[in-house]
Amino acid sequence: MLSQQLLNALTLGSVYALFALGFTLVFGVLAVINLSHGAVFMVGSYAALFLVTRFEMPLWLALLAAMAVSGMLGLLIDVLILKPLRARNAPHLIPMIATIGVAITLSSSAQGIFGAEILRFPEGTIPAGEFIIGDVHVRAIEIGIVGIAFTLMAVLFLAIRRTQLGRALRAIAESPKAASLLGINVEGLFHGTSFVAAALGGAAGVLIGLDFNAITPLMGQPILHKGIAVIILGGMGDIRGALIAGMFLGFAEVMSKAYLSSQLGDAVAFGLLFLILLVRPSGMFGRVLERKA
Amino acid sequence: MSFPRKTLFLAAAAMLAGGALAADIKIGVAEALSGGAAQYGVAIRNGFQVAADEINAKGGVNGNKIQLVIEDEQGKKEEAINVFKKLIFQDKVLMIFGPTLSNSMFAAGPVANGAKIVAFGTSNTAGGITDIGPYIFRNSVMESDVLPVTVATAVKHYGIKKVAVIYGNDDAFTKSGYDVFKKVLADQKLAVTSTETYVKGDVDFKAQLTKIKAGEPDAVVCSCLAEEAANIMLQSRSLGIKAPFIGGNGFNSPKLFEISRLAGEGTFVGSPWSNVNPAPVNVNFVNAYKQKYNADPNQFAAQAYDALHIAAMALKSVKLSGNLEAARQALRDALPKVSISGATGPFKFRPAVTKDGKPGGFDADQTPFIYIVQGGKFTLYTGKK
Amino acid sequence: MEWLDNYWSTYNTLVYSIGVHALLALSIWLTLACGLLSLANAAFMGIGAYVSALLSLQAGWPFAAVLAAAGVVPALVALIIGIPTLRLSGVYLAMATLAFGEVVRIIVLNLEITGGPEGLNGIPQSTQGWHILAILAFTIYGLARLRRSRVGRAFESIREDDVAASLMGIDVARHKLFAFVLGATIAGVAGGLNAHFTFFISPREYGFENAVDILTMAILGGIGSLVGPMRGATILTLLPELLRFLHEFRGVFNGIVLVLVVLFLPKGLWEPRRIKALFARGGRA
Repeated sequence: MLSQQLLNALTLGSVYALFALGFTLVFGVLAVINLSHGAVFMVGSYAALFLVTRFEMPLWLALLAAMAVSGMLGLLIDVLILKPLRARNAPHLIPMIATIGVAITLSSSAQGIFGAEILRFPEGTIPAGEFIIGDVHVRAIEIGIVGIAFTLMAVLFLAIRRTQLGRALRAIAESPKAASLLGINVEGLFHGTSFVAAALGGAAGVLIGLDFNAITPLMGQPILHKGIAVIILGGMGDIRGALIAGMFLGFAEVMSKAYLSSQLGDAVAFGLLFLILLVRPSGMFGRVLERKA
Repeated sequence: MSFPRKTLFLAAAAMLAGGALAADIKIGVAEALSGGAAQYGVAIRNGFQVAADEINAKGGVNGNKIQLVIEDEQGKKEEAINVFKKLIFQDKVLMIFGPTLSNSMFAAGPVANGAKIVAFGTSNTAGGITDIGPYIFRNSVMESDVLPVTVATAVKHYGIKKVAVIYGNDDAFTKSGYDVFKKVLADQKLAVTSTETYVKGDVDFKAQLTKIKAGEPDAVVCSCLAEEAANIMLQSRSLGIKAPFIGGNGFNSPKLFEISRLAGEGTFVGSPWSNVNPAPVNVNFVNAYKQKYNADPNQFAAQAYDALHIAAMALKSVKLSGNLEAARQALRDALPKVSISGATGPFKFRPAVTKDGKPGGFDADQTPFIYIVQGGKFTLYTGKK
Repeated sequence: MEWLDNYWSTYNTLVYSIGVHALLALSIWLTLACGLLSLANAAFMGIGAYVSALLSLQAGWPFAAVLAAAGVVPALVALIIGIPTLRLSGVYLAMATLAFGEVVRIIVLNLEITGGPEGLNGIPQSTQGWHILAILAFTIYGLARLRRSRVGRAFESIREDDVAASLMGIDVARHKLFAFVLGATIAGVAGGLNAHFTFFISPREYGFENAVDILTMAILGGIGSLVGPMRGATILTLLPELLRFLHEFRGVFNGIVLVLVVLFLPKGLWEPRRIKALFARGGRA
């Protein structure tokens, strides 16, 4: 039982990490808690579903298209809403509330267009392969999710650490004003970050929609709450932290369900969040990106 | 600049139409058409619409057409109260169907009861609903009438000794189903290997199921909604759990097999309704629904469909003079006597037994069918292996 | 007159809701006035609602005592969690209070006495219109006095810059705690009032969405004055009713309104000068 539970924790942790990736990226660079990330995640899921069922697109193509769709949506949100708020130097609360408005708009639109019921990808969209090792059962999609979460995380981490672009992003994270004095195209990178983060959110939506067989207008809500816990535990804006915290939360949740009581699942997540905030406000690992200007 | 004139024209037409339809019977429908409960509310509204079309096509009730006044209560208690009041005091409806969730009925039911107008729930299964008062009716069957039969039948069929239980613990419907299961399992002296819970919106049940697997139960008892149940079945099979499922009312939806396909083979379900019930009224209903909405009906639609027929039957004996209060009261007094054979089988009301002995409303009195799942379909259980 | 009677019978719950929402918006205004973004007010409202409903149902307390308890218990809880939590600032405080709210919701969900997910029903309908009116008036009066007092000025300086405020000799921690506890009290009383005119309460009414709703009301109306939160509460309570004709797409409109207000009335609806300017510009164009 333990080995199966460890595997369950690994996949759940990867799901959380995958979602939190774009979420934390936006916070790190734009210093905005983008509460529309859950809705963008949902849009990615519906976009891929629409393409697969209506145009019988192969999954890999639909995944890329869904990333493009949600990426564009993220870009749009940045250009139309976050940019004017930045220009006005609005306090950090304001963009957060604006993104709540975006989330409500998107999920209600999805409900109006696709209906409230749970939709799912047609059978055979993903290989139904299953591996049985001793007592442990693994499905192909789970391996896919774990693999993709780790790969994306590594790519993003290296991009930020090792490339010119990454250096520019880190400069912005330290201080947008100083970065722009250094000749960095701050607005351009804000737009780019929004696009990439939303595209990642969309990809997470597709993969998680596939894994759990459920696409609904409100699917972004519960995972958004977990995402908040993850980025805070991991340290806001910390890519590596998001992976570790995602895993940590996945393990804590699965283990408390397995060895304590399943009623505690969510209480553990939020209780931990609460306690860790009290003890280490900057997250479990590392320091927070503190805006200097 | 033709816009105002057009509006005027429309308004005049509406007034004329209103005049012409003066003999319409106005019936309020308060269901959750948006928000999380919309997946039930919409099906319920559709069920009413199918029944209303059918009744009106046959000339209505005593020559009066039925007019549904449909309002969205969003699955929220304040909204349910507001909508009930609007229907009662502004639209002056004869009776109200809804609301969708038991929670909303607990909030809005007392409003109707106080105003002496029938509130007729088609989807409220929680205990205590009809304790609200004598104007509260429902044709949704309570789990406590269905589950003892379901469990006993399954136990006999499989020779079950010990079971595992899983249920949604933040939902009034699945939690009250669990409470009944718990009592039934104790009454029938079945050992419980483990009891697991999940919350609404959960899609990953593997941690709980892994634990269930370790207990090696003979069957898994599941108080879940169809969509959750389907995912639970799929995930159990992929974890290597072979035990059959025993389900509550929430299983009664074609969705279950659309999603779970063959993962639910051997499942036992008790239900007032099934899409394969061969009774002519049911076949008729299923076809009419499919034709109108291009989708399969579910239990919620079927119960709404029957509810309107029950009301229409009662209305036959109600004299519609100009006095609204008298008509509402007459309808209230006529309802308990109705018995019909609808899409959900033979139906009659049963006076509720309330906790404090005060006169309560009326519950459904129906014998459930027991189904076993074979080949991805509900099959009426006949007792033969 | 009959028409008026009918009108009142139809819409009195709506009017009551506006009053309760105004109290909630004022409760979060209080913490915002002190520069704290707390998302725990929905939870405090829930604690007040449950405490009052249980006292009415099981202990049969008189309504006045019930309402007092609905204020006192959340205040005590706020005192206990406030001391460690209020050291956090900005989004961290928001997230900690959000987590606290979720923990409260989960606890209520799993207790026997609270009825779990099925909630509590059959709560007596004790709330009268004048109760809400009186409490609202009293709250506004109290908060208006507070604003002009030394404490109010201390709040303001803490909101502007808490380091500077502490250098000026203001006990920042104590003032923050006071705002937090008083906010919890108001939210708790609002919860008690609400429970006693809706017959029924359940845990899902006090979750994250509700916390956000309360915040939105205050922000939308404006936190620069006491009228702002009430204006926001009124608009957001009426909006769904007025938008009924939009059916499924009502939520879309709701969301867009929120975004537009944040974008085009930069400090919400709470900056009269800006609104005047906006209208003036519109008038000339």
